[in-house]
Amino acid sequence: MFLARIDGTVTSTVKHETLAGLRLLIGQRLETDGSPSGDPLVLVDTMGARQGSTVLVTTDNEPLRKAVGNTTPARLLVAGIVDQIYKEGTP
Amino acid sequence: MRLGVVRGSVVLSLAVPELHGIRLAIVEPITRERLASGGNLGGGKPIVAADKLGSGVGHVVGFVEGRTAASPFWPGKVPVDAYCALIVENIDYHPPGAANSSVRKASS
Repeated sequence: MFLARIDGTVTSTVKHETLAGLRLLIGQRLETDGSPSGDPLVLVDTMGARQGSTVLVTTDNEPLRKAVGNTTPARLLVAGIVDQIYKEGTP
Repeated sequence: MRLGVVRGSVVLSLAVPELHGIRLAIVEPITRERLASGGNLGGGKPIVAADKLGSGVGHVVGFVEGRTAASPFWPGKVPVDAYCALIVENIDYHPPGAANSSVRKASS
């Protein structure tokens, strides 16, 4: 799992049938200092994450396989919306 | 799943039987800098991805990598580790820093 910031949305009509109706967001993986890491990612969201939200992303495909079927290629799922992050230096 | 631009396709003369009939697209991943600049997309190291959607050159696609890329062929077992899961219609991208905002339709 890793933390990501929601930077946008993606719409698509031609897609794998298991992705029909799923909300797709653009997530940016974050370093511990909050700076971006790697390329933008397309995430599946069922929690209603909003633009600018920091979210917890899981790379386990099990939840999506359960929800939309074994043949789904999607794997990155918003598993939670972050309320607060505590780390060294946080008062 | 990452975003990428379809640059072409690959046809094999000889292939393992599991790959027969699977269209292979050349996809150039879109980097954060290129997506934010709104200029020509791409910038990543091109990969070859299985494609059942019939994407064409210039299309922006979402492609998955790793073991789950073979899931659409389940219960068949295919040696595929990248798969075009969607063709992008529209991207609404607003990273922090207003200058970087961009809304883009996929070229077709």
